[in-house]
Amino acid sequence: MSSKIVRPTPSVVKVIGKIHQRLRGHRPRMGQLSRFRFIPIKPIQPTVQRLIWVWGFLVVSSLGLLVRLYHLQISLGAVWQTELPTGQVPITETNLPRRPIVDRQGNVIAVDQTLYNLYAHPRQFRLPKSELIQRLSPLLRVPAQQLELRLNQGETGIKVSDSLSENVADQILNLQMDGLELTRRQQRLYPQQELFGEAVGYVNLDRKGQGGVELSQEELIMLPTHPIGGKPMPSSLSPMANGFQSPDLRLQLTLDGRLQKASRLVLQQQVRKFGAKRGTVIVMDVRDGAVRALVTEPSFNPNLYYQSTLSLLKNWAITDLFEPGSTFKPLNVAIALETNSVQPDTVLYDQGKLTIGKWPILNNDFAAVGPRGNQTITQILIHSSNVGMVNMMAAVPRREFYHWLQTMGIGKPTGIDLPSESIGQLKSEAQFVNVGVESATAAFGQGLSMTPLQLAQLLAVIGNGGNLVVPHVVVGLVDVQGNIGWQPKYPTPRRIFSSRTTNTVLQMMTAVVNQGTGKASQIPGYSIAGKTGTAQKANPKGGYGNRTISSFGAILPANAPRFVVLTVIDEPMGDNAFGSTVSAPVVKAVMEVLIGLDGIPPQGLFTH
Amino acid sequence: MLKKLLFWFQWNTLVKPWQNIDWTLLILVIGMTVWGSLMIRSVELNQGWAEWWQHLITGLIGLVLAMVIARNRYDRLLQIYWWIYGITNVGLLTVMFLGTEALGAQRWISIAGFNLQPSEFAKIGLIVTLAGLLHEKPANTIPNMFRTLGIMLVPWSLVFLEPNLGTSLVLVAITLGMLYWANTNPSWILVLLSPVISAILYNVSLPLWILWAIIIVIAAWISLPWRIISTLCTFSINFVSGQLSHFMWGVLKDYQKDRIVLFLDPDRDPLGGGYHLIQSRIAIGAGQLWGQGLNHGTQTQLNFIPEQHTDFIFAAIGEELGFAGGFFMLISFWLICLRLVFIAQGAKDNFGSLLAIGLLSMIVFQTLVNVGMTIGVAPITGIPLPWLSYGRSALLAIYIGVGLVESVTNYSQPLRFTSNKS
Repeated sequence: MSSKIVRPTPSVVKVIGKIHQRLRGHRPRMGQLSRFRFIPIKPIQPTVQRLIWVWGFLVVSSLGLLVRLYHLQISLGAVWQTELPTGQVPITETNLPRRPIVDRQGNVIAVDQTLYNLYAHPRQFRLPKSELIQRLSPLLRVPAQQLELRLNQGETGIKVSDSLSENVADQILNLQMDGLELTRRQQRLYPQQELFGEAVGYVNLDRKGQGGVELSQEELIMLPTHPIGGKPMPSSLSPMANGFQSPDLRLQLTLDGRLQKASRLVLQQQVRKFGAKRGTVIVMDVRDGAVRALVTEPSFNPNLYYQSTLSLLKNWAITDLFEPGSTFKPLNVAIALETNSVQPDTVLYDQGKLTIGKWPILNNDFAAVGPRGNQTITQILIHSSNVGMVNMMAAVPRREFYHWLQTMGIGKPTGIDLPSESIGQLKSEAQFVNVGVESATAAFGQGLSMTPLQLAQLLAVIGNGGNLVVPHVVVGLVDVQGNIGWQPKYPTPRRIFSSRTTNTVLQMMTAVVNQGTGKASQIPGYSIAGKTGTAQKANPKGGYGNRTISSFGAILPANAPRFVVLTVIDEPMGDNAFGSTVSAPVVKAVMEVLIGLDGIPPQGLFTH
Repeated sequence: MLKKLLFWFQWNTLVKPWQNIDWTLLILVIGMTVWGSLMIRSVELNQGWAEWWQHLITGLIGLVLAMVIARNRYDRLLQIYWWIYGITNVGLLTVMFLGTEALGAQRWISIAGFNLQPSEFAKIGLIVTLAGLLHEKPANTIPNMFRTLGIMLVPWSLVFLEPNLGTSLVLVAITLGMLYWANTNPSWILVLLSPVISAILYNVSLPLWILWAIIIVIAAWISLPWRIISTLCTFSINFVSGQLSHFMWGVLKDYQKDRIVLFLDPDRDPLGGGYHLIQSRIAIGAGQLWGQGLNHGTQTQLNFIPEQHTDFIFAAIGEELGFAGGFFMLISFWLICLRLVFIAQGAKDNFGSLLAIGLLSMIVFQTLVNVGMTIGVAPITGIPLPWLSYGRSALLAIYIGVGLVESVTNYSQPLRFTSNKS
C-alpha cells in the first residue's frame, strides 16, 4: 500500500526501500502499487506508540518547567522578594535597621552604625588605574602599592573595603568615578564591650539576633521596614500613631550598667582567685522581678562574638541547671511552716548522722562537732544542718512536700524574657513519695535542680512576702526623654506563701548572716538575710563527686526587702571553698555597690 | 424571504474558504499575540517606547497573511518547495554579505526601512522543504535520513555562520522532530546526536560518559546494519568526539561559552555574563503565586533585565503575573501543541502532517528553551518565545507557519457535497 505515515488505518503497510513513488498529494490506488517490487516490512514504529512518545515528551517537559517555576515562585518566592531591589532600594538583609538598646540609666548598650562597602570594577574604569589609586589611597588610608595589588585581583567585583564611614563614603562618591560601587550596610556596635554580653547577646552577619534580648526581643528591636518596592508610610500617620512602631524608640533594659560593672569585677576576681570554672551574679528586685544585674564570668564581647567559644556565648545563669544545696533550705523551712508541720519555735533533735535505706546522711560538720542535739529551726539554718532539715521535713507528708515543690515552679520555666531558658528537674512523684531518700535529700536541696535564675526568683518569694514574680530584663520601648512608648505586661505575681511564713523565714535567714555561715556578708548598719550553700555536684555517672558548686543568696535590707543578690560559683578549688568563703564575699561587695547606687538607708537610722 | 436567503448565501460564501480551519488554534494564537503586546507595553512603560503597537500591527499583518495562505491548497507547495529552499538559502546568503551587524552577528537585512531577519523565515522554509522531501521519501532508511540531513545542512550552516546559535539549534530541533515523525528509527537519531552529547559529558564526568557510551553502543547494535562495524564506528566516533571537545570548545565565541557555563552557576559573574540570569531569576521568583500585578513588577519596571521585551519577556510574565500567569501561558502553549498534533494526525497526506509537526517542533523547542533559560535550567541563547517576544520577522514567520497548518486542516476534511439550492 502507500507509505502513508500520517493517518494510518490498521491495514496500512509501510513501504520501505528504494522504491520511488511519486505521490503528489494523491492517494495511490492499489493497482498502482502492485506494479512495484516491494518488500513489505513491519513499520519501524507503530503510530500509536509514536503518538504516545510525542505526548509524553510534551507532558513531561511542560511539567518539568512547571515544577521549576513552582520551586522558584512558590517555594523560594519569599527569598527572591528580599533580593529584589539590588542597588535601587537600599533595604537589604544586611542593613535591616534595629533599635538601639539602652540600660536603666539610658546608657547605650547596642546601636546601629552605618558603614559602607567599597567595590571596584576595573573593567568600567574610565581613568587610568594609577590616577584612580592616587586619589583613592589617601581617602581609604591604604598605601598605594597595597591598593594597586588589590585592584589587580580581577576585572570586576573586587572588595576594596568593608568598613568605610559615612564621611569617607561621601568623599568617594564626590569623586564621581566610574567603576566604583558603594553599598551601605548597618553594623551593630556594642560600645560597652562585654559588659552586657550575656544579657544582650549579639547580631550575626545576617543581622539576626543570636542570643540575649537581641534574639528574644527581636520583634521589638527590628524596625518596621517598608514593603520592598512599596511606598513609604503615609505622611498623615504620625510616628506615634502606630504605637511602638516609631523608629525613635529605644529598647530599655532593667539592667544597671554600674552595678553590672561592679558585679563583674568582683566576680571576675573571685572566680580567678579560686580557680573556678565559672560564676554568676544575679541581682533582682524582689518586688517585681526586674533584674538589675545579670553577670556570668567568663563572658564574651558581642562586638567580637566570632572569636568566642560556644560555651561562653550562652548565658549559663539561665541555660544551665544546678542542685542548689543548702541555699534552698530556707524554702523548705517555709514549706514546713506553711503546712503547719512545724512551728517557728519547734525544737528538733539533730543526731548529726542518719541512714536512710543504704544512704548515710551527715552534717557537713559532723566530723568536727558530732551530734548537735536539740536545735531550734533557726539553729538548724545557722549551722546549715542537713540532718536537722531531714528531721524537720519528715514532718511534712511526702506527697504534700512534692506538690509544694511543684507549686514553687520547679520543673517549669520562670518566664524570663531571655532566650533558651532551661527547665528545672524534679524526680517523678512516685519516686519522690516511695523512695525515702528522695525527700530526705530534697530537704537539704539536693536531688532537684534549677537554674541560678530560678533560685533567685524563689529567694525573692521570701523577700517579697510570698509572691512568685516573673523575672525580666525589659523595661519597654522608651524615647530619648524617657517616656515609655510600650511596656510588656507580666502576669500578676502568684502568691505561694503567706507573709507570716516568709517573715519568719526572713528573720531566721538574718540570724544566719548575723551568727552563722553568712557572716562574711555582713555590712555594718544593715540588716541582711542570707543563706549559704555548698552543693556536691552530681558527676555524669550519677553519684556525687568532690567537685562542688557554692552559692550564696542574700536579701537586703532584711527589715524592708528590696533586692535579692545571688552568687553561684561553679567548681571553686581549694580546701576552703565553701559558700561562706567563696560566694558570700562577692554578694557583700555587690550589696555595698547596690546600697550606694540606690541610696538604701542603714537600718539604724530609722528603726532606732 | 428571498432576500433573507440571499443574505445568508452570501455570508456563507464569504466564510466558506475557511470553513474547515482550526478556529481554536487561530484564537489561541491571536490571544497570545495580544498578550505579548500587553507584556511588551508593560516592559517599555518607563522607557517611552511603543513597540507594543508594532507587535500588534505585525501580528495583524501576519494574521491576514495566514488567512490568505489558509484558503489556498497547501499541497500546491509540493511543486515549488525546491524554490522555497532556494529562496531560503539566497536570503541567508544575502544577510551574510549585505547584512547589518548587531550583537556581534550578521542578522538583519534592511529592505525599504524594514529590518528583515531571514533566519526566522528560514525556519519555515526548512519546514516546507523537509516536509516535501520526507513526503516523497520517508526517512525510514539510513540513506534517506542522511539525504534529509544533507539538505538541511546548507541553511543550517549559513545560520550557524552568521553566527546565530539559537536559530541554528531551532533548525536542528525542527529537523529531528520531522525525521522522527517520518518514521526514522529514534535510535538512529540518538546515535547521530551521540557525539555532541559525548563531547559535553566527557568534560563533565567520566562515569556519565561511560554510561552514555554503553547506551549508545546498545542503540547502535540494535538499530544499525552491519552491526559489528557500525557499532565499533559509533563508539570510536563518540570517543574521538569526547577527546576533541576541548578543541570544539575553542570554536565557540566567548559569550557563547559564558552562556553555556553560566546558567549552571550564574553567581560566578554576577555583573557580567550571569547578570541576565540572576536578574530574571529574581524577577520570576519574586512573582510568587499571583505576581506583582501587570505594570507593577519591580524588576520589569526598573528595567533590570536587558532584552526584556524580546527574549526575556517571560521574566516580565513571571514577575507581574506570577506562577498563575506562567501556568496559564504554558497551558496555552500546550493547547496550541495539542491542536497541532491533532492536525498532524488528521492530515490527509504526509506532507500536511509533516508541516504541522515541523511547526510543532519549532514551537515546543523555542518555548522550552526560552522559558528554561529565564528560569535557569537551560543556557541562554537568543531564542524568542513564540507570539510573545517582540520581533517582527519572527512573528510574521510563525504566522506564515500557522497559515500553512490551517491550510492543512482546511483541505484535509473529507469533501462535503452540499446540495446547492440556489
